[in-house]
Amino acid sequence: MKRVLVACGNGIATSTVVATKIREACENHGVPVTVSQCKLLEVESKADDFDLLVTTGKFTGGSVSVPVVGAINLLTGINEDATLEEILGYLK
Amino acid sequence: MSIFYAIFNTIMDAGATVMLPIIITIIGLIFGVKLSKAFRSGLTIGIGFAGINLVINMMKADLGPAAQAMVENFGIQLDVLDVGWGAIAAVTWSSPIIAILIFAILATNIIMLALKATDTMDVDIWNYHHMAIVGIMVYYVTKSIPLGILASVIMAVITFKLSDWTAPLVEDFFGIPGVSLPTVSALSSVLIAVPMNWLLDKIPLFRNSKLTVRNAQKYLGFFGEPAILGLILGCGIGALARYDVSKILSLGVSMAAVMILIPKMTSLFMEGLMPISEAAKNFTQKRFKGRKFLIGLDAAVVVGNPDVITTSLIVIPLTIFMAAVLPGNRMLPFADLAVVTFRVAMVVAITRGNLLKNIVMGLVSTGTILYAGTITAPVLTSLAQSIGLDIATDGTMISSFAATSLQLSFLVYEAFITNPIIFVPLLIVVFAAIWVLVEKRNKKKAAAAAE
Repeated sequence: MKRVLVACGNGIATSTVVATKIREACENHGVPVTVSQCKLLEVESKADDFDLLVTTGKFTGGSVSVPVVGAINLLTGINEDATLEEILGYLK
Repeated sequence: MSIFYAIFNTIMDAGATVMLPIIITIIGLIFGVKLSKAFRSGLTIGIGFAGINLVINMMKADLGPAAQAMVENFGIQLDVLDVGWGAIAAVTWSSPIIAILIFAILATNIIMLALKATDTMDVDIWNYHHMAIVGIMVYYVTKSIPLGILASVIMAVITFKLSDWTAPLVEDFFGIPGVSLPTVSALSSVLIAVPMNWLLDKIPLFRNSKLTVRNAQKYLGFFGEPAILGLILGCGIGALARYDVSKILSLGVSMAAVMILIPKMTSLFMEGLMPISEAAKNFTQKRFKGRKFLIGLDAAVVVGNPDVITTSLIVIPLTIFMAAVLPGNRMLPFADLAVVTFRVAMVVAITRGNLLKNIVMGLVSTGTILYAGTITAPVLTSLAQSIGLDIATDGTMISSFAATSLQLSFLVYEAFITNPIIFVPLLIVVFAAIWVLVEKRNKKKAAAAAE
């Protein structure tokens, strides 16, 4: 099972929205996945334990060894499906 | 009629954990969410409140006596505990007038959009709590629902306009076009940053500063990790309370637990509100089809910026130091040290990443928050108790870096409770003048850019 880390400013608000949408999309496509949330400040110390990092804004605050997807579209609702496809692509 | 009255009283007596599911279900139904989904949302939020109540209790029971021992031992009077914005948001969502305020804020947004008075479409219902709490506190003090609603509406109008005006910064500096950030916890610092930036630019030392801090993340990174920060703070406070070693360590771990558990509980609130937020988004987007607007997002989307992170990592320890030495401050910064990034995000954008200016202005921002938090703590504490946060009455009070600790919210709140007949019209006139001036300047800029 692939592991996804969703990071946002406080690890609560926007990351919950994005994490929920990823869980729903994976469920619909039959992709088993675990989704965790954290603060952007913690990303560097945590990201290595995951297969994919999804951030709700622009993340330029450090270097991580896992693929990173910016998911602001899941918040604005514009091009939402394309971003979900991109995320699913990493998890299949 | 008396049956309704009896039902209403029974619910009120049962407290926030029963009130919340009912209020949220009703709000959900009004937005067209299905009953079963709306009820699950409400129940999730009720569970979140129960969780926050547990954690705040634990925090107050452990940290309260230590804070008081600190007063006795060293005269460091920090007996207003920063329980974090999440706990205050929980209190906000549990107020009996929250439903009215949510619709008043949404209506303000829709009317302003229709009149083309704002470009920001703010359906980030979650962050309405920053605007709502001001109305709730005004209502709590004045016992007047109209005054409470007016206070929240004024907060909303100012918030939407500040979002409009800062949207170019969000696009240019943070690189996110088409959105604005109607999150009061981030916007409020604009009140400090704009005048101070102008002032500091008069001084060459600040204007030309090329200060950079390398490896801030490497050496100060632990200040950004809530668990480590909680552990250090807990142990430090335990030592100042002259506890023995085992008790110091146990306070450290218990405070690390608080730092991690509060956000977990708060995220239940977010989870519960999500279906309602989505429904509100669809509702509003459908009505303004074809109109180009800025989508209002949580400021969480910009705090990942490296300049914001570096500034925060330096401002966090200095804020703790400041809390101890600022005369008159009684707030012990704690849970909200985890969200200092939000308080400095706009500062960083306005200075375009000038680190020296960022640190100075960031500290002025957190310093004013400490004072505003100290001043409004008695009312906030009593409000929280009346709503059902059963915190011990041991002389310590609660506050946060949110609610009326924020500069903007503090000013609006004080205007309403000090002398509403003089200060509320004054507030409106001053803001209207700023509005006219800024829009005039923006028009000129746009015209100049077009040539």
